[in-house]
Amino acid sequence: MKVTIKGYTGVAVWKWVANDDTCGICRMPFDSCCNDCKYPGDDCPLVWGQCSHCFHMHCIMKWVNGNQKSNQSCPMCRQAWKIKEK
Amino acid sequence: MMSTRTSEQAAKKLGIMMSSRSSSNGQAAKRLIIRNLKVAPRNEEDNFLSLWKHIDEAVRAIHESRPVSMSLELLYQSVENICAEKKSSMLYSALRQLCEEHIRREVPKLTLEMNDQIEYLKLLNRHWEDHCSHMVMICQIFLPLDRGYVLNNPLILSIWDLGLDLFKNYIIINKTVQTRCISGLLTLIDSERSGELIDRSLVKSLLTMLYKLQLYQPIFETEFIKSSEKLYSHEGESLLQTFEIPEYLKHVEKRLNEENNRLLHYLHPSTRQPLINCVERNLIGEHVNTILQKGFDNLMDDKRLDDLKLLYNLLSRFLNGVEQLKNFYSQYIKKRGRDIVINPEKDNTMIQELLDFKEKLDLISECWNNNEKFTHALKDSFEHFINQRSNKPAELIAKYIDTKLRAGNKEATEEELDKILDKIMVLFRFIHGKDVFEAFYKKDLAKRLLVGKSASVDAEKSMLSKLKQECGGVFTLKLEGMFKDMELSKDVMSAFEQQLQIKTSLSIYVNVLTLTHWPSYTASNIILPPEMSQLQEKFTEFYKKKYSGRNLQWQPSLGHCLVKGHISPGNNKEFQLSLYQTLVLLLYNAKDDLSYEEIFESTKIEENELKRTLQSLACGKVPILTKSSKGVDVHSEDIFKFNKSFTHKLYRIRINQVQLKETQEENQSTNEKVFQDRQYQVDAAIVRIMKMRKSLPHNLLVTEVVGQLKFSIKPADIKKRIESLIERDYLARDEQNPNQYNYLA
Ligand SMILES: [Zn+2]
Ligand SMILES: [Zn+2]
Ligand SMILES: [Zn+2]
Repeated sequence: MKVTIKGYTGVAVWKWVANDDTCGICRMPFDSCCNDCKYPGDDCPLVWGQCSHCFHMHCIMKWVNGNQKSNQSCPMCRQAWKIKEK
Repeated sequence: MMSTRTSEQAAKKLGIMMSSRSSSNGQAAKRLIIRNLKVAPRNEEDNFLSLWKHIDEAVRAIHESRPVSMSLELLYQSVENICAEKKSSMLYSALRQLCEEHIRREVPKLTLEMNDQIEYLKLLNRHWEDHCSHMVMICQIFLPLDRGYVLNNPLILSIWDLGLDLFKNYIIINKTVQTRCISGLLTLIDSERSGELIDRSLVKSLLTMLYKLQLYQPIFETEFIKSSEKLYSHEGESLLQTFEIPEYLKHVEKRLNEENNRLLHYLHPSTRQPLINCVERNLIGEHVNTILQKGFDNLMDDKRLDDLKLLYNLLSRFLNGVEQLKNFYSQYIKKRGRDIVINPEKDNTMIQELLDFKEKLDLISECWNNNEKFTHALKDSFEHFINQRSNKPAELIAKYIDTKLRAGNKEATEEELDKILDKIMVLFRFIHGKDVFEAFYKKDLAKRLLVGKSASVDAEKSMLSKLKQECGGVFTLKLEGMFKDMELSKDVMSAFEQQLQIKTSLSIYVNVLTLTHWPSYTASNIILPPEMSQLQEKFTEFYKKKYSGRNLQWQPSLGHCLVKGHISPGNNKEFQLSLYQTLVLLLYNAKDDLSYEEIFESTKIEENELKRTLQSLACGKVPILTKSSKGVDVHSEDIFKFNKSFTHKLYRIRINQVQLKETQEENQSTNEKVFQDRQYQVDAAIVRIMKMRKSLPHNLLVTEVVGQLKFSIKPADIKKRIESLIERDYLARDEQNPNQYNYLA
């Protein structure tokens, strides 16, 4: 017998590449979105800081904008918050 | 002068009076009055006697039904003359005496021995009719007396009433006459009730007589109701034992019609209320429970709509009748419904039976006169029994929908399909464990979407919107996410193909899933042929570049392939296979027979999956391999050989995975998943409540948790979750009171 594959329909699950399972601000798993969003993915992206901590973008934006004193510092390690450009 | 005026007044009154009777009489009367004025008063006593003589003779003739020798005009004139001479009182007494004597003479004729009851009634009726016609004539002659003397003396009976009074007191009040009359009437009505034809006009005439004599109620109605009471109380008792319920209800209806007919034809309307009440109470009211117990379930089973309507109608006449009917209805639904859901051996037909049952109940609903209580009873009872079996109905509803939405289902048009889905949504509404439904629905939807088995996107979307409408957007959020992933994958694939540029002989399509939207799948590492793994690799690179910060995890258990198979010269086939089936068949390019061990080493497919895959290829409907051992079980010593003589009538062949075992395992894991989710929800509810309340005693916390959850849970299970949360330092027991919990921030 000679068998040849004409077409392959595969299934893959995407996952964030993050150091942690959950967002340190909203406590939601990264596989889910932040509390304000409906769907994970492009609608609710993640951002990585230079300190290597990672958050939902919406969560860290709220944190940085809403907190006068500690603004610009990472809520996990208190280092200055700077987005890591990839 | 005085007399002239009164006479004129009398003439006026008379004219008005007479014109309503007969105009010729009226004319005569007027003329008589004018002549009357010319009559000169003579000796008053002599005059009265000479006038009375004629009158007396005339009245006697009337009483004996003989012709009256003198003209009525002259008699009338004589009466008027007597009245004009103010001898009215004397005249009235003389008339009264005359009538009284006559009636007294009549009595013995009506108390004679007589055996035939009907003949007796006829005799009595004749006397009554004669009495009436005599009195009419007498009244005409004595009209001036009525108009003058009687009118001016309120205590004196009118001549007509005098006649009635005499007839009543001498004839009907007579014990013998009364007993014969009433018992005769009752016998006649009884024989009509047992189906005989009777002379209704005779009954009507005598009852009218009694009514006019004001004796209908005291001497007839009371006795009549008493005898009806006796008849129907006996009839109710005995017929309920011999008749089936539908027959019995029809009989009651017939009885009610008959009695109403009686009311229409001869009974007085005042009898309606006590009579109908008597029939209803004795035939229905006293036996509500017996009737329902004996007949209700059968009427329901056989869908006897008319009988049920009648039953409702009859019972609605009693204070608690409808309430009792409703209770039997609820019990019936619960009983029959429980039979449908409780037996695991009937799981295959459960949903269809539930749909049929609901349809039947809906049909029967028209019998309840739009009574909302029955609508609620239906809902409550359905909800009650369907949840007697936890989880399974929810699971089977999801699966039923799957069979309807799956490709290859030849069940009709989109419209018909939509109707079926609407019906199943009604069942869905009753289910408590909506999370169980969701888990199974999600699993099946995933299969339909990923294996391309969905019958129609429109039907899928329509089902989704029904669920959304029923349970809200949160419930369908993840299901919608699945559709979203499918759309996004299309976009990603077209971008991928564009940058791939060169067409490869092997084409790839990838469905990229968002983890949380889909059922969880276990990842496994298998060995792909280099051609495939390179293609997968290429796609992964492309994806990571397009979506930075993400990675892909491949799910080989969900992959499938289109495969071309050259079996022997001239025997080419195209196969629709799972990825695992493909990987196994590819090995046969090199060799015609392979051991189980060899196949495992070359593919690294997980043992259970591999066994199932080999089963599908060697023991299913499309045996492209042969297995060395007999039976369907796969053993690790088995050798699998390529089946050279394989033929199939189709060119394109789909080889299905072995379903049964898969389903059992899947079911278990789906149920476990639901259980897990429920634990999270309980935990979340406890934490939410404690965060708000800071401190709560055990019982209050349990009550609040139960109130927040959408599924039922035992308090003992909540206690376990509380303990787990204490271990994990979310809560602590109060130091003073161990039954009190404190929230730890
Ligand atoms: Zn977050
Ligand atoms: Zn967000
Ligand atoms: Zn940090």
